[in-house]
Amino acid sequence: MVKPRVYRSQALVLKSAPMGEAGLLVTLYTRDAGKLKAVVRGARRPTSKMVGHLEPLNMVEMSLARSRPGGIDTITQIQILESFSSLKADLDAVSRGIYLAELVDGFGAEGSPNQELYSLLVETLQFLNGSSDADSTLRYFELHLLKCSGFMPQLYRCVECREELSPGKHLFSPDVGGTLCLKCTPPGARVMRLSVQTLKVLRFIDRASLEELSMLRINAGLAVEIKNLLSVALKYWLDREIHSKTFIEHLEHSQKAGV
Amino acid sequence: MSTERIPSASPSVSRLIDELNKLPGVGPKSAQRLAYYVIRLPAEEAHSLVEAIMAVKEKIIFCSVCQNMTDTDPCPICDDSRRDRSQICVVEEPLDVLALERTHCHRGLYHVLHGVISPMNGIGPEDLRMKELLPRLEDGLVQEVIIATNPTLEGEATAMYIQRQIANLKVKVTHLARGLPVGGDLEYADELTLSRAFRSRSEL
Repeated sequence: MVKPRVYRSQALVLKSAPMGEAGLLVTLYTRDAGKLKAVVRGARRPTSKMVGHLEPLNMVEMSLARSRPGGIDTITQIQILESFSSLKADLDAVSRGIYLAELVDGFGAEGSPNQELYSLLVETLQFLNGSSDADSTLRYFELHLLKCSGFMPQLYRCVECREELSPGKHLFSPDVGGTLCLKCTPPGARVMRLSVQTLKVLRFIDRASLEELSMLRINAGLAVEIKNLLSVALKYWLDREIHSKTFIEHLEHSQKAGV
Repeated sequence: MSTERIPSASPSVSRLIDELNKLPGVGPKSAQRLAYYVIRLPAEEAHSLVEAIMAVKEKIIFCSVCQNMTDTDPCPICDDSRRDRSQICVVEEPLDVLALERTHCHRGLYHVLHGVISPMNGIGPEDLRMKELLPRLEDGLVQEVIIATNPTLEGEATAMYIQRQIANLKVKVTHLARGLPVGGDLEYADELTLSRAFRSRSEL
């Protein structure tokens, strides 16, 4: 069957870049078609009626005209469904929103639908839009992003000997895909120490909802351990630095320094 | 993107086409047209073009006060004694200064950041001319900082960052109004623009 030339899609705007004289190349994460790059002609002209709708971190409903094979589809109509305005009015929150968008841009694949990832992104942004407990929300997003992209680290068994983990200290290595018991250390793999509390919290983040997680209080040391562990796993699978994380850390640092 | 060399064009013409093609917004076809236009130019006009390009490369420096591009330091705006020294308008790019100057609305000074915080592209505050702004506010002369970054996600983030940086100083921080463009249409406005326009409505 021939695909219709014009189609509709719901999506989240991840980023945009100038294209040509007045056009805009927009990267979106769509509900039904995964990551998608689309062009909006004349969007940067002052008379453009679409540019305000195309801001990153907007959830939009749009019509697109399909291009010939190998080309880029064109957005013909667009309307905001949710603009996450309270998130955008706060510097810390917006930096976290941009971090989510960068991760989805990195992990999402073009032409590969992943509704679970789309829902995760929307749900997390909605939560950040109205919540103060941002750190655990980011950890939830990171672990569930790995999960729905097919990179979920094993948290219940040793990935080498397949034995169920007994309560106690263990090791973690993103290179081999998750937890290891103390007896197993595959040669060449980067291994991190994993305390029993960290493992418990990770398992809880895996099973809990965002609401349940927001009620959990984690001490600062444990939070840092979980953050580092997930960050190593994300960087391993993405195989590059996550730029917007540097800005979040810069803001946290300058706030601590009282600037 | 480099142009495919035209087999019939001489090496010097091909080189000119390649160079022109590097300019922003100039595609391979436009580069060819421009190259053949240059070939037909009288020699003195071509020299004048070359001289103009070389002059900006040799003379243009950054103003040590406002960081705008200039060929004298301080730049004519910073050097003008009639300008209001109690107001500094912070803009992203030198072209924004030209746009604001055309309005004749701002009689104060400027500060050019040369970019905008773009976390996703790894551009942080340290990559902009942000640190040069704070010392300008410490002498007590400046009463108001007008932030005129673009109303985009990154422009707004930059505005919020500057606001946070200078919150401790006794300086009023303002922000250009957001609203509907002249000749715009309510029906097509996005909800953020429309709600901001509504909130900052003014009495007729």
